Amino acid sequence: MRPRGERALSEALLRTEGLTRHFHVGKLLSRQTLHAVDDVDLTIGRGEIVALVGESGSGKSTIARLLALVYRPTRGEIWFEGRPLSRLRGRKSRLAYSAAVPMVFQDPYSSINPAYRVSHGIVRGMKLHRGDLSRSERGAELNRVLDSVGLVPAGETRRRFPYELSGGQRQRVGFAQALALRPKLIVADEPVSMLDVSIRVGVLNLMGELREQEGVSFLYITHDVASARYLADRILVMYAGHLVEEGPTEDVLQRPKHPYTQLLVSAVPDPRAELGLADARDVGEPPKVVDPKPGCRFRQRCALAVAECETVTPQLRELGDGRRVACHVAG
Amino acid sequence: MSTSSLGATDQLGTPPAGPAPLVAEIGGGRWGDVWRAISRNKKALAGVLLLLVFVVLAIFPGQIAPDDPAAQVYTPALGPSWHHLLGTTGRGEDVFSQLVWGTRMSLVIALAVGALATALSVLIGVSAAYLGGIADGILSLITDVILVLPIFPLIIVIAAYRKNSGLFTLIVVLGALGWSYGARQLRVQALSLRSRDFLESARVRGERKAYVILFEILPTMTSLIVATFLGSALYAVLTAAGLQFIGLGDPNSQSWGTMLYWAQNGEALFAGMPLWAIAPGVCIALLGASFALLNYAFDEISSPALRVRKLDRARIPKRLPPPAEAPQAGAGPVLKVEGLSVAYATDAGPVVAVDDVDLELARGEFLAIVGESGCGKSTLLYAIARLLGSPLPGEIVGGRVLFQSKDLVLLEERELRRVRWRDLSVVMQSAMNALNPVLTVAEQMRDACRAHSNMSRAEIAERSREVLRLVSIDPVHLHSYPHQLSGGMRQRAMIAMALLFTPDLVIMDEPTSALDVVAQRSLMVQIKELQERLGFAVIFVTHDMSLVSHFSDRLLVMYAGQVAEMAQTRELFDRPRHPYSQGLLEAFPSIRGPKVRLLGIPGAPPDLARPPAGCRFAPRCAHVQPRCTAAEVPLTSVNGSVVRCVLAENAP
Repeated sequence: MRPRGERALSEALLRTEGLTRHFHVGKLLSRQTLHAVDDVDLTIGRGEIVALVGESGSGKSTIARLLALVYRPTRGEIWFEGRPLSRLRGRKSRLAYSAAVPMVFQDPYSSINPAYRVSHGIVRGMKLHRGDLSRSERGAELNRVLDSVGLVPAGETRRRFPYELSGGQRQRVGFAQALALRPKLIVADEPVSMLDVSIRVGVLNLMGELREQEGVSFLYITHDVASARYLADRILVMYAGHLVEEGPTEDVLQRPKHPYTQLLVSAVPDPRAELGLADARDVGEPPKVVDPKPGCRFRQRCALAVAECETVTPQLRELGDGRRVACHVAG
Repeated sequence: MSTSSLGATDQLGTPPAGPAPLVAEIGGGRWGDVWRAISRNKKALAGVLLLLVFVVLAIFPGQIAPDDPAAQVYTPALGPSWHHLLGTTGRGEDVFSQLVWGTRMSLVIALAVGALATALSVLIGVSAAYLGGIADGILSLITDVILVLPIFPLIIVIAAYRKNSGLFTLIVVLGALGWSYGARQLRVQALSLRSRDFLESARVRGERKAYVILFEILPTMTSLIVATFLGSALYAVLTAAGLQFIGLGDPNSQSWGTMLYWAQNGEALFAGMPLWAIAPGVCIALLGASFALLNYAFDEISSPALRVRKLDRARIPKRLPPPAEAPQAGAGPVLKVEGLSVAYATDAGPVVAVDDVDLELARGEFLAIVGESGCGKSTLLYAIARLLGSPLPGEIVGGRVLFQSKDLVLLEERELRRVRWRDLSVVMQSAMNALNPVLTVAEQMRDACRAHSNMSRAEIAERSREVLRLVSIDPVHLHSYPHQLSGGMRQRAMIAMALLFTPDLVIMDEPTSALDVVAQRSLMVQIKELQERLGFAVIFVTHDMSLVSHFSDRLLVMYAGQVAEMAQTRELFDRPRHPYSQGLLEAFPSIRGPKVRLLGIPGAPPDLARPPAGCRFAPRCAHVQPRCTAAEVPLTSVNGSVVRCVLAENAP
């Protein structure tokens, strides 16, 4: 995999500015606000694979759903190809965006309708978004996308029902559905975490190949740092709804700056290295971000915390070489 | 869990992976499959045949009945004879002909009300579930109000108000009042579907709401919709007959209920003509029975869990029983498993999920069992702890599990209870499912102590605090409920409970896989420390080899129900001998070292109902040779490891 970070940054495909999403939780009288995503600025270049990593509950999936228009942002803006999404008017322009930015889901056992053949989701997508295709063109395109995701022979797979496929094959169907829309950016939310170890790499490689062949960008959302390293050009690290560090993958993982990134990287099990016990006392409990006060959300777990961390929320700072970190101390 | 002897092991989160999901069996849209399922199910077959008889009667009454049912031309009140199979009525009509002609009305009412009520149930139930919010609130309220209305008296009032108003009114009234039960059921199922990703996938694709409801949700609910239809049809037959019986239908119409009405008017029983009432009564019962049978059958077909299957031991390939030896007490391994095999009953015959597994565990040893989903690792674990049954079905069909000089396979449930938890405890994957949500941690620990010992109240409290401190949870959390603890804490509380009696062996089924990496590592370190301090042995099942690389003494790699390789952990990581172990090690990317392109292992694990001949890994193996598929490959010992591969046989 060739890193493409430098070229990609110059021409952003998608960019968010202060992207924020809050949820109301609790009963009417004890209503609280859960800050799922707070003030996230991220950029995804053309043909770039960006990994978004973090613990469960850190807001990764909320970002995926904001980009897929499932949720509306509480604040902030998403810019796609230079146009703000808040100004999307009418079903037509929303459909055009949905086709350009499809999503692949985590659980291959629940993301395909069990009542239909494999071809259903793919053909529906084409009917909705590529109405100009004739019936025979759709058939040819169906075969093409099944071929490109490795579900061969396509003529046979398209007639299968989901329960006849393995988890890895189902996940490939998910990518075929996305591909049939001629996407520019595929948002893949933990696409391999439910798959068996021996077939995970196949799906990761598929994403790499689709980028090479079709020029699609990916937002690869995962909690598996090692797979992010394998696949992504750039990595974004989230903690409790904040983006805490970003930069070229290799750089960030070999020389993590933010104390959370350091903890995360040290905890990844690696049979080829010594057991990192330095932070093993940390029991790994991220805070619940309900009605938060200003301040760094990692400070209770942080060895470096200073007085400033209690009161001032750290903003992302440029460190050069495309790296940014949100920490008062590190850098 | 409070009253159970198994406690922490009673409930767990992972259902066994079945071959086909619930909806696929019927919702698959293959009529051939549906027919095959019906013809295999006796209830379905009986229901279909019975219904078919009534359908024929309803379509061709003129050809079957000898007389005009309304013609009052015979001597009244004749007994059964060749001319009048069921005799004549008090008004001189032929009873058999009336019965045949009456079928049509009953069936029309059943089908029309069934269709109307089902359509309304679907529309209201599914819309309520999918739209949610206020729409759901209003629709559910209407449904509930209609559900609690006393339907029969209400219909009597309505029917009396529009007396003799005919078939159409009857159908509309019955339909309009009969949908609520079905709507509730459909709403519940649609709600459970709402969180399924394929619906979100359709929405993200840009589908309209109406499309999602009609073409994404409904097809997956086919079996429940069919059940709703059959249920409403049954209700319609009975209610319509009841109304006609009390004279609220058109008394000149041809129906079974009207026949009952006239039988009542003519005082059938006093007149010595019980057939006037029995004949239509039996017909109503039979038509109702056909709908009820079909309903049952659909339930069975669409949820395979309801079917009881029996394990056909004769069809399981025989293994030679391991040679018997006198179990030794004292020193020696804490656990010895010999030739253990476990099989499941499926529709396609028995499936051997664990095939002839041998293993030994020394005191204080940490053995990790790794493998992909469906390789039999969890089944093996459950078999060792003798926990097979529910929720993981399966039966031990051979072998021994020697623990504390006893063969656990032969122990009675009562004796097992003395061993479990005191000497052998189990920690499950999902603590949220294994802990009882309505009891505090202290109460659950107290229940466990009471079930397995006769400790006093004070001793129990003291011990509970002690074990919580062991896993570094502050004892104030004794009075917390499981949902008040974080995921990592719950999992550590489970481990604390497993340590209440300082067991010799703790069996763990993926206890960390629901946790994030940081919490995961912290828990692993803790388990290892406890093990070294307290000296218990551990069997640890996981799908993630790298997770246990620093913690386990030995590693057992399972593939398709068999031991593929067992070796010292370091040895297996440095020199994997089985191509499958090699493949697994090369399948996951590393966070350090040079970036290399990985290939994974092509293909997928085999279907255990039809395992490949010879070596089960052969179809995915890069080093396959003719002899791999010729005969089963035995385990070979190499330098203290065992490997099931022909390559290892020649190795030094």
